[in-house]
Amino acid sequence: MRSVWLVARREYLEQVRGKAFKVTTILIPVVFIGIMAAMILPSRYWGTSKHLVIAAQNPAFAARLRNELVADKDAKMTVDILAPAAPGDRATLHSELDAKQIDGFVWIEAPADGKELVTYVSRSAGDFTTEDRLNTAVNRALVEQRVVNHGIAASDIPALTANVDIKTMLYREGVEKPSSALITLFFGYGMAFLLTFTVVMYGMNVGRSVIQEKTSRIFEVMLSTVKASDMLAGKLIGIGAVGLTQIAIWIALGAVLLTTALAENWMTGTAKPQVSIVEVVLLCVYFVLGYALYSTFFAGLAATCDTEQELQQYAPLAAVPVWLSFGMITFIMSNPNSIWSILISMFPPCSPITMAFRFTAQFPPAWQIALSLALMVISIYIVLWLSSRIYRVGILMYGKRATLPEMVRWLRYN
Amino acid sequence: MPPVVALDRISKAYENKIAVQDLSLQIDAGTMFGLVGPNGSGKTSSIRMMIGITMPDSGSVSMFGKPYARESLRRVGYLPEERGLYKKMKVMEQLVFMGELHGLNPAVAARRAHEWCERLQILEVAQKKTEELSKGMQQKIQFIATLLHDPELVVMDEPFSGLDPVNAALLQDTLIDLKKAGKAILFSTHRMDQVEKLCDAICLIHHGYAVLSGGLREVKSRYERDRVVINFEGDAAFLGHPAIESFKNYSGQAEIQLKPHADAQDLLRAAMERASIYRFELMEPSLEEIFIRTVGEKIDA
Repeated sequence: MRSVWLVARREYLEQVRGKAFKVTTILIPVVFIGIMAAMILPSRYWGTSKHLVIAAQNPAFAARLRNELVADKDAKMTVDILAPAAPGDRATLHSELDAKQIDGFVWIEAPADGKELVTYVSRSAGDFTTEDRLNTAVNRALVEQRVVNHGIAASDIPALTANVDIKTMLYREGVEKPSSALITLFFGYGMAFLLTFTVVMYGMNVGRSVIQEKTSRIFEVMLSTVKASDMLAGKLIGIGAVGLTQIAIWIALGAVLLTTALAENWMTGTAKPQVSIVEVVLLCVYFVLGYALYSTFFAGLAATCDTEQELQQYAPLAAVPVWLSFGMITFIMSNPNSIWSILISMFPPCSPITMAFRFTAQFPPAWQIALSLALMVISIYIVLWLSSRIYRVGILMYGKRATLPEMVRWLRYN
Repeated sequence: MPPVVALDRISKAYENKIAVQDLSLQIDAGTMFGLVGPNGSGKTSSIRMMIGITMPDSGSVSMFGKPYARESLRRVGYLPEERGLYKKMKVMEQLVFMGELHGLNPAVAARRAHEWCERLQILEVAQKKTEELSKGMQQKIQFIATLLHDPELVVMDEPFSGLDPVNAALLQDTLIDLKKAGKAILFSTHRMDQVEKLCDAICLIHHGYAVLSGGLREVKSRYERDRVVINFEGDAAFLGHPAIESFKNYSGQAEIQLKPHADAQDLLRAAMERASIYRFELMEPSLEEIFIRTVGEKIDA
C-alpha cells in the first residue's frame, strides 16, 4: 500500500505542478463559455437584415403581411410591396434576385377556390429562421384577413389575435420553480461537456503517462521494488485525484460566481438551473467511475504501444461514445424517459455523459441510476482485469506495437 | 554463512525460444560476480528471474538464505540495462522518491542522496530537472538511485555501457569499495576484459546455457598455460624444440603455441643454451580465448 501511495503522490504532484494542469484549468471553462457564446449569439442574428418583396394580388393582405414581418424587431427586415402583382412581374423579381438587390420574395396567389398559395423564393437554401418567421407571419396575416372578411371590425383584431407566452415551471421535491428549456439544455450541455472533457482527458492522460514511463525506460527500475499492479493502481489514483482537484476548483469558482451580486443581477427574472447536492455528488461519482473505465482501458492499450503517436491512433475509441452521447443530447432533453434515453444511459462508456443530461432534464428513477452505476462497476472490473494483465507484460516489451493475437497471448501469461 | 543469492537450475522459455536453461549459480557476500556472455545469451532474462520481475518456468531462487520473497527486494539494488529516470523531476526529488520506494524515510533518503552526489561529483546539479542533464550525469543518478538504500546485493545489468572512460573508472572504483564493504555484487557484461579485471567469480553463458562457472582463478587454472612469449637475441634454433606446436618469430620476439602438456621449463633451458633471453613469459589464456574455445567445442560437438 505504501508504494501505491508513493506512486500516486508522485504522479499527482508532477501533474498538478505541470503547465498543462494550469492551462486546462483556465482554458476549458473559457473554451466552454466561448462555445456557448458562439451558439447563442449568432442565433439572435440569424436571418436578420433580409430584404424581401411581397408580391400579391391583394394590396391589403400584402400590407398586413408586411406589418407582421416588420413587427419582429430582432429580424430587422426590409419589406417592399408589389401589389397588385401580375404573373409577368415574377421575371422582374428574378432579375432583382440575380442583381442581389433583394434576398427573396414572397409570391402570393389567391385562386378562385379561396385557398391561398404562398411561395417563398430566395437565393439561399436552409435559412430556416427566415422561413420560420415567414410561416408565422403569413398565417397570422391570413387569419386576420379571414376574420376581417367575416365582418369583424379591424379595430378588434389585435385583441382577438393576441399571443400568450407559456411560462414553464419545473416541479421538483414538491415545489414549482421557474425553469426554461433553453437554460436547462445549456446547463445539461455544460455539465456533460465538463464531465466528458475531464473523463476522457484524464483517461488519455493515464495512457500518456504509461507511454512516457515506457519510453523513458523507468519501468524496469520501478519494477524491482514495486509490483506492476501497485504501479498501475498508484497511477490511476494519482491522476484521478488531479482530475478531482480540477473539478473542485471549477465548482468552487462556479459557486463564487453564482453567489456574487453580479450573478444575482444577471439572474433576476430569469430561470436558474436547478441543482441539488445529490446531483453534485452523483456527478462526482460518475466522474470517478467514468474516469476509472477510460483510464484502465487506455493504460492497457498504452502498455502495448511504443510511442504516443501509436497511442493517438486509438483515440477514436474514446471519441465514438462521446459523439454518440452528444448526438443524443436534444433527444434526451425532450424525451428523458424514452427507452432510447434509458438504454444509452445504461451503456457504460456513455453513462456519465448521458446521465448528466438526464439529471438536468428530469431526475431519473433511483433504480436506473443504481443499474447504470452497477453496470459501470462491472465493466470497470472486467476492463481492469484485462488491462492489468496486458500492462504487466506490455510495459517490458519494447520495439513495435503489439498485435491483437499477441495481446491475447499476454492474457494467458502468469 | 549462506550465499546472498542462489539460483538453482532455473529455466525460462518464451514462445519458441529458450532464454535460460538449467542455470545455477551463487554469489557470496564480499564478492564481485560477473555474468558474461554475448548479446542475447540470456543474461538479462536470468537477472530478471533473480529479482522476481519474471518468474522462472522451473527451478528456484533463494535470497539471503530464504526462498525468494518480494520483501527481500528491499535489500537489493538493481540497475537494469534499459534504464531511465522521470524526466520532469528534479534530481534530488527523484533520488528521495526512489529511496522511499525502498523503505527509507524521506529525511534519511535526502541525507544519503546528498552524500552520494558529493561522492560522485554531481552535487551542483541536484536541484536541476533530470531532462536538463547529460547522459553521463543521468547514469550517475541512476547509479545512486540503485545504491541509496544501502543494499546487500547489488545487481547491475551492463553498468558500464555508454559511459565515458573517466566515469566508467569512477563507477568501477565505487563497486570495488562496495565489495570491500562486504556487499555481494553481480554485474553482467559482454566485455570480457572488464570481468577479468574486476571479478572474483564468473559465469559464462551462451544460448541460455552456463558453459563455464566458478572462481575466476579456478576457471582459468582449468586451462593450461600453453602460450609463451620470448624476447631474445642470438640463435633462433631453439624454435625447433619438440614442445613447440607452432610459432611466429617477429625478429627477436617469438610468440609460441605449446603442444598439449608440453614442458615449458625445458623449452626455457633449451633457449638459454643458444640465445640470451630478456623475457620469458608463460601466459595464461584470456577469458575471451577461453570463451571462444569453450563455445567452439560446444558448437563442434
